[in-house]
Amino acid sequence: MSRNVSFALTVGICMLLPFMVPQYSLTVLIEALIFGLFAMSLDLLVGYCRLYSFGHAAAYGLGAYSAALILTRLLLPLPIGIVLAVLVTTLVAVPVAWICTRSTGVSFAMLTLAFAQLGYAMLFRFRDITGGSDGIVGIPRPPGPLGMTWFQGKTGYYYLVLGCLIGSYLLCRAIVRSPFGAVLAGIRENEAKTIALGYNTRAYKIATVVLAHGFGALAGALYAAFAGFASPELFFWLVSGRVLIMVVVGGAGTLIGPVLGGVFFVFLEHELSEITDLWPLIFGSVFMTFVMFAPQGIWGILTRRSSPRAELPGAGNETSDAAA
Amino acid sequence: MSLGFILAQCLGALSQAAVLFFIACGLTLIFGIMRIINFAHGAIFMLGAYVGFTIVAVTGSFLLSLVLAPIVVGGLGMAFERVFLRHLYGRRDGGAYLLLTFGLAVVLSELIRMIWGAQPRASGIPDFLRGIVVILEQPFPLYRLFLIAAGLAAALAIWQFLERTRAGLLIRAVSQNAEMVHALGTDVALVRTAVFGLGCAMAALGGVLAAPLVTAFLGMGTTVVIDAFVIVIMGGMGSFLGSLIGSVLVGFVQVLGAYYFQDLALAFMYFLMLIVLVIRPGGLLGRED
Repeated sequence: MSRNVSFALTVGICMLLPFMVPQYSLTVLIEALIFGLFAMSLDLLVGYCRLYSFGHAAAYGLGAYSAALILTRLLLPLPIGIVLAVLVTTLVAVPVAWICTRSTGVSFAMLTLAFAQLGYAMLFRFRDITGGSDGIVGIPRPPGPLGMTWFQGKTGYYYLVLGCLIGSYLLCRAIVRSPFGAVLAGIRENEAKTIALGYNTRAYKIATVVLAHGFGALAGALYAAFAGFASPELFFWLVSGRVLIMVVVGGAGTLIGPVLGGVFFVFLEHELSEITDLWPLIFGSVFMTFVMFAPQGIWGILTRRSSPRAELPGAGNETSDAAA
Repeated sequence: MSLGFILAQCLGALSQAAVLFFIACGLTLIFGIMRIINFAHGAIFMLGAYVGFTIVAVTGSFLLSLVLAPIVVGGLGMAFERVFLRHLYGRRDGGAYLLLTFGLAVVLSELIRMIWGAQPRASGIPDFLRGIVVILEQPFPLYRLFLIAAGLAAALAIWQFLERTRAGLLIRAVSQNAEMVHALGTDVALVRTAVFGLGCAMAALGGVLAAPLVTAFLGMGTTVVIDAFVIVIMGGMGSFLGSLIGSVLVGFVQVLGAYYFQDLALAFMYFLMLIVLVIRPGGLLGRED
């Protein structure tokens, strides 16, 4: 019960934030929430299937570019444009997921990386459509026939992003708590056993990769429409690496942890990059420290005592695949 | 298109393959023994290039940098294995290595930026390797021929080392069944440290060799590590011969692709890898696991 109360309290505070912070901070806040959403989408793979994607920027970039093209060329209303961008990305993600899930572990990581880099290369190949290294600029936020102009202002857009984030969170939470999510946990803990129980784990993994791409695309589309441009950097592997760091430091397999990880890292980056250019060094060192000493992440540490589910029965007695 | 031109193109591709081989073979050796994909391998390659640059600047000897830089970087690699990687061996989750070495890649490239600055550094081709060789009426840089020779020599040396020496035998044994080797009384931890250091030293050697051609710049590690991954995955993870074949394939795709289809060169490489993986998920010479 207390969890629901604190959840409602957090949402309430987020609703009030636009009235409490200056306009400049609101920009950072919107970016932070978008990155939180992006990190959460990756958590579906990392935290629930233990599939380390090093190419999640592909979902972000594809969502951003689809939204950019749909909004600039077709001038559709913003919400429809975003929904279409998500649909396009999930459709593209199906064959990608099919190929990537043929392998696991390191090969999966490298295949996803290869696909993202392939997308990055394609941007320069099809310059007429994508604008090459310039990207697509001047993305409008068309209000559509219903005259929805509320999201054209910064405060309105903040609520749009917040709504998307909360909606996605509730949806993801429902997914991981469903029987579907239980199978994912089975894949994470012991895939061979899950297969032996009669589950087609490959199909579950494909579905999860596609889902993760869908939520990632939502974040990308929201970002493109907010920033007003989409550039090749969105596809670059550094974005994939950054978001992976956020998921791990925030706490993989908790959904809320990666959201917080994303939000805090974007904030810190904004604050610290102004005073020091050591930021990437700190970022990398903090990340290494967490991998070494606290693989459960910040949220994992915070909730360890209150949540008995963190210690799954039988989690300790598997043979290590490192020694194999 | 003359025969000489085609030959020059092929030699160009082979010299590219030679540089790639230095990185890929270290990567695959480390993977074969430790089941670790070293994401920082590109950053280590870059570190080798910068350390080599400093040695040339201080001593003025290119040959000395070819010897010293791999020793320095290999030593650092062994220290990293001892201090960090070792503590993860017991962990059930193989992804931890991927994450840790990714963190190392970030930290290392930032340290390099702090120490050597953001400006690209060119060490220049040493005098005795400068010049042009005319092959079938086509001019070809001598240094690239030297790279091909170096790559061939390294491939032969490692192959002989793995097949003919006792240490090589031990390495192959550990990659097949570490627990059994341990039970027979060999210090497997020591083998792991040594192999990690050897892989890093190979990458550093590649960095020193490549530096005169590309000039050392920040970000050279990133581009190169992805190429190396493509090679290793295509050739089969942990397969030494696979990394050699993969290097040659990628070298040709890169050089010929860049000449005939500028924009598609990058895409070609990934296409090649995807095709290989769809047909053989374990890579050309890899075991499927």
